Amino acid sequence: MNTPTLAIDNLNLSFKGLLSRTQVLHSVSLNVEKGERVALVGESGSGKSVLARLVLGLLQDQRGVEVSGRIGFAGTELDQLSRAARRALRGRDMSMIFQDPTSSLNPMFTIGNQFHEVLQRRTPDLGTGQAQDTARSWLDRVSIPDTDRVLASYPFQLSGGMNQRVMIAMALANNPTLLLADEPGTALDVTVQAQTLELMRALAEDVGTAVLFISHNLGVVREFADRVYVIHRGRIVESGSTTAVFDNPGHPYTQALLAAIPRITGDGIPDLPEQIDLSHPAVHHNTGPAGHD
Amino acid sequence: MIALTRLIAKRLATASLVLIGVSMLIFAIARVIPGDPARIALGPNATDEQLAKLRAELRLDDSLPAQYAHFVSELLQGDLGISLYTNRPVTTDIAQFLPATLELVLVAGTMMVLIGLPLGMLSARYEGKWVDNLIRIVSLLGVSAPSFVWAVILMLLFAFYLPFFPIAGRISEQYAIDPVTGFLLIDTLLAGKPWAWLDAAWHIALPAFALALSGIGQAARLTRANMVETYNTPYIEMARSYGFSESRIARRYAFKPSLIPSLTIIGLDFAAMLGNAFLVEAVFAWPGLSRYGVAVILRKDLNAILGTVLVISATFLIINIIVDLLIAWLNPRIRHAEQKP
Repeated sequence: MNTPTLAIDNLNLSFKGLLSRTQVLHSVSLNVEKGERVALVGESGSGKSVLARLVLGLLQDQRGVEVSGRIGFAGTELDQLSRAARRALRGRDMSMIFQDPTSSLNPMFTIGNQFHEVLQRRTPDLGTGQAQDTARSWLDRVSIPDTDRVLASYPFQLSGGMNQRVMIAMALANNPTLLLADEPGTALDVTVQAQTLELMRALAEDVGTAVLFISHNLGVVREFADRVYVIHRGRIVESGSTTAVFDNPGHPYTQALLAAIPRITGDGIPDLPEQIDLSHPAVHHNTGPAGHD
Repeated sequence: MIALTRLIAKRLATASLVLIGVSMLIFAIARVIPGDPARIALGPNATDEQLAKLRAELRLDDSLPAQYAHFVSELLQGDLGISLYTNRPVTTDIAQFLPATLELVLVAGTMMVLIGLPLGMLSARYEGKWVDNLIRIVSLLGVSAPSFVWAVILMLLFAFYLPFFPIAGRISEQYAIDPVTGFLLIDTLLAGKPWAWLDAAWHIALPAFALALSGIGQAARLTRANMVETYNTPYIEMARSYGFSESRIARRYAFKPSLIPSLTIIGLDFAAMLGNAFLVEAVFAWPGLSRYGVAVILRKDLNAILGTVLVISATFLIINIIVDLLIAWLNPRIRHAEQKP
């Protein structure tokens, strides 16, 4: 069996306050195989975004953060790497797409400038002319018209959808092995969001990038992912292939989540029940393509 | 480019309005404060005829608006009148004394920017670490005392007890430098005398640092606060997620957006140094505009007071305009305001 692109095993995370300690992730285990698209679904505050930042190594240096468990990336144990080696992975072998495209791009630099610097992560001595060419071809791939104008623009001169595409192009431009997408496009309107997600899916497939897609939007997840992990209060409560989880939800939380999708039936928006049986054991469907233990 | 030209025109228009206002105000105040300028100038033994003659010369018997109108018409011809204190044209006096003050302020301003900004940057980058704590204590100390207090303290410590620096003056007597620009740091170079330049730099170091200290503290604190805020923005997180080094993030991605809000205040501080320079000059016997300014105020030398205040206000406004332009140039949102789709 191939080594998975991302193998998270028994990961615990807690934040230490002045007096108390808050545990955010409880022995989370999760796999993403090579080229696979995996979704991590959960409500706000379930710990899904924090997980992505742990994979990137952005949280570990912060004060009061305690991490245990292992994160394996394409065969390397991330916690055994030096800080510099971890940093070297970011922007080259793993990259991330953020929620709000317009505020995630630096307001002081042009798109062309930012693209150039991102490309230099892979090719340090890349000249401006070459960088412009590469950036232009990438913007073409995310269906951005008038690429020269966009490259000369600042993020505030472009629409949110446009910036989102730019971000997707930047994230994939260095052919990363793993793409972390943290609720991409939540700040955009629904049609634009759907378009950009479709783009991201097609490109990830082209490049052969594995995607860990973090979302609270079940509809989007169903369209996008091969496999799904459901996270609730820092615990994985259900996992399996998308069809298995959606057609045959085993955990009461997943059932509640699925029931909470608003339908146009005139019943109004259903609520998530306050009381969910947390003692219910996690459900793992073994029907997934890559198999989960 | 059009936006920039329009900005300059707008700022110049407001600046001239401010100057007119200041001139009227000072004109009125200088004449309302008690004391007869003619009597002070001529001394207690002057006869009534002499007094009347001088009063007529100075047009002190005209109405206030008439006096002001006369002043403006003279000013438009580049004439600020004769100083009763030096008996020379006020313009000549100012041309002699202003460069020393400007040199002091410019050196202090440069120190503020070159020391204050990096300190703030360092402090923000190592937020919560000992470097940050040290810089915060030092910068708080800097803003806690006015510059003349620092001038006295620094002079005692580094010129008196530990004689590293000279106590007074702009340059040692053995150097004779022909004034070209009036800025000794430039004139010595023009004269091709590097030793004299070093000597002038050695003389200006302590007073300029005393003048700069509170500005350094202010600049460091502001830059730190703005940068700490910038560090929490999504675009810094994105820069980190792309694996850019922390020092690159500090220098490039976090510093530039943080600089703009700091710059406004730094500009104001810079301009405020003109006022503070008066007191620092007094401490270090710096032959600038301050001694002249104080002397003419005490003598109620109307023309000289007005001239001094106008020149200082104009310098203040010019510094502010330069800072505004700098901000416009740095901030793409303003620079591209008219190209927005």
